[in-house]
Formats: sequence, C-alpha cells, structure tokens
Amino acid sequence: MANHSTTHPAHLHHHFVDSDQQFDAAKMGMWVFLVNEILFFGGLFCAYIVFRAWYPDLFQEASHELNTLWGAVNTAVLIGSSLTVAMAIRSAQKDQQRGLRINLLITIALACVFMVIKAFEYSHKFELGIFPGEWYTYTGFEHPKASVFFSIYYMMTGVHALHVLVGIGLIFWIYRRSVKGEFSSEYYTPVEITGLYWHLVDLIWIFLFPLLYLIE
Amino acid sequence: MSEHNHEHHISTAGQLWAVGIALLFLTVITVVFGKFVPIPSPFDIVFALSIALIKAFLVAAFFMNLYWDVKFNTMLLIGAATFFILMFSVTLLDTMFRVDVVPGF
Repeated sequence: MANHSTTHPAHLHHHFVDSDQQFDAAKMGMWVFLVNEILFFGGLFCAYIVFRAWYPDLFQEASHELNTLWGAVNTAVLIGSSLTVAMAIRSAQKDQQRGLRINLLITIALACVFMVIKAFEYSHKFELGIFPGEWYTYTGFEHPKASVFFSIYYMMTGVHALHVLVGIGLIFWIYRRSVKGEFSSEYYTPVEITGLYWHLVDLIWIFLFPLLYLIE
Repeated sequence: MSEHNHEHHISTAGQLWAVGIALLFLTVITVVFGKFVPIPSPFDIVFALSIALIKAFLVAAFFMNLYWDVKFNTMLLIGAATFFILMFSVTLLDTMFRVDVVPGF
C-alpha cells in the first residue's frame, strides 16, 4: 500500500487511506441522504394512501382532470435525462471530457423541458380555479372532497418539482466544474453522487405518474 | 485494508440505452393499460404498481449501479423501503378502522 503522506492525488483528503475509500465513503453518505429523501416523500405517499383508502371514488374522478399525455411526456423526459446522466458518468469514467459536458447539458435541457410542461399544467389548472385546499373554486368537477385530491397533487408534484429545480442547479454546478477540467477517470465522485440524486428524482416520478394521472 | 484499487464498473453505452428503452417501453405499457385497455379493479392498481416497481428496480440496479456496488448501499435502499412500508401500514391500521373519519377531512 502506498504511503499517502508522500505522493497522493490532489483530490484525496488526508483522512482517507486512498481514492477508493474516499469514493465509497462519499457514495455511502449520498445513499444515507437518499434514505432520508425516500422517507420524506414516504410521508406524502402515506397521506395519499390514507385518503385514497377513504375516498376511492374521489381519486378516480379527480384523476381525469389531469392530462395523461403531458404526464406521460414528462415521464419520458425524466427517463431520458436519467439516461444522459448515466452517460455523463460513463464519459467521466472514460476520460471523455466533451461527452461529459454534452451529456450534462442535455440533462439540464431535459430538466428544463420537464419544468416548462409542469408550469403549463399548473397554470392551466389555476385558470380553471383548481387550487389546493380552501382556495379551490373549480365548478366543472363537483365532489365535496375535491380539494383534498388537488391538495395532495400540488404537494407531491410541487415538492418533486422543487427537487428538479435543485437538481438543475446541482448539474449546472457539475457542468461548470467539468468545464474547468476537474473530473477524470481518476476523480469523478461529484458527478457520480449528483447522478444518484437525479436518478432518485426520476424514481419518485415513476411512482407519482401512475398514482396521480392513471386512475381509471 | 484489503482489495482497494478495485476497478469501478463502467457500463457500456449499449447497456445504458437498453435500460432507457426498457423504461420507456414499460411507461407505454402503463399508459396503454391505464387508459385504453381497462383492467378490472383492484387489479389495475396492482398492475400499475408492479410495472412501477420493475422500473424502479431497473433504475436502482443499472442507472444507480447498485448491481455492481458494495452491498451496503443496497441494504440502505431496502431499509428505506421497509420503513416506508412500516410507516403507511401502521397508519392504515388506525385510519382504516375508525368508526367515522375525522370531521373536516
């Protein structure tokens, strides 16, 4: 084993034995954070499950107010962005600087497409008077508990959209660092763990889409 | 201090594309059976969630690289899922057996 006090790469912190240990520690730390994220969204899914169990007919009818086409397009957009993030990590692992930057830029573009579609969906509902909670004024869909479904819809998709915005910021930060040439096959830890975060955002949407948009 | 300097797994571009296309294909299946070919309740939600779980497995195993990663990270994910199931199960044990739902909800 190399004596790390003599020669060690610039990215290696002195309290790690070697780059592999540092990489594994960073990755495990990210997974612990993702556990937090899953249980955080878990609380929202729990509310969804309870209210759907109480008012199954409400969820069935209210779901028709959501646009399946745009929901499906956004699912495809997020899957595409997950693919490009995975490709970006592959590029970093293979020292392909240009591929890394291009894949990161495509990911940011796809994330922005997701947000634009989401904004159109929201503004369309706001025009109809579909607001969460007591601000619900839509008359096209009558159900005494109609606002409950849309409160859950706005909360779950809203917090998810917030995660997409944070993701855009993180990937842009990674892009800036990649332009400076900070990543290589020797050191790409930030790319890898930002990728993990982005895949989780995709994972949450994989469940949100059928649960909110596809209830017949 | 053993087996450091192990190689990180690098997926081929073909593998990643295959996973992406499989995810898109499963999305199409979900939409077709969710909207156009009705499945009688409650099997519709069972079907939709089964597809979602398969997609989640694909993302976790091959995009998040758990398949090639140290097993501890897989344990963390399974732990999170287990505690999530525990959270809503115990909640349902209460909310499903109330005589009347809480007024205002």
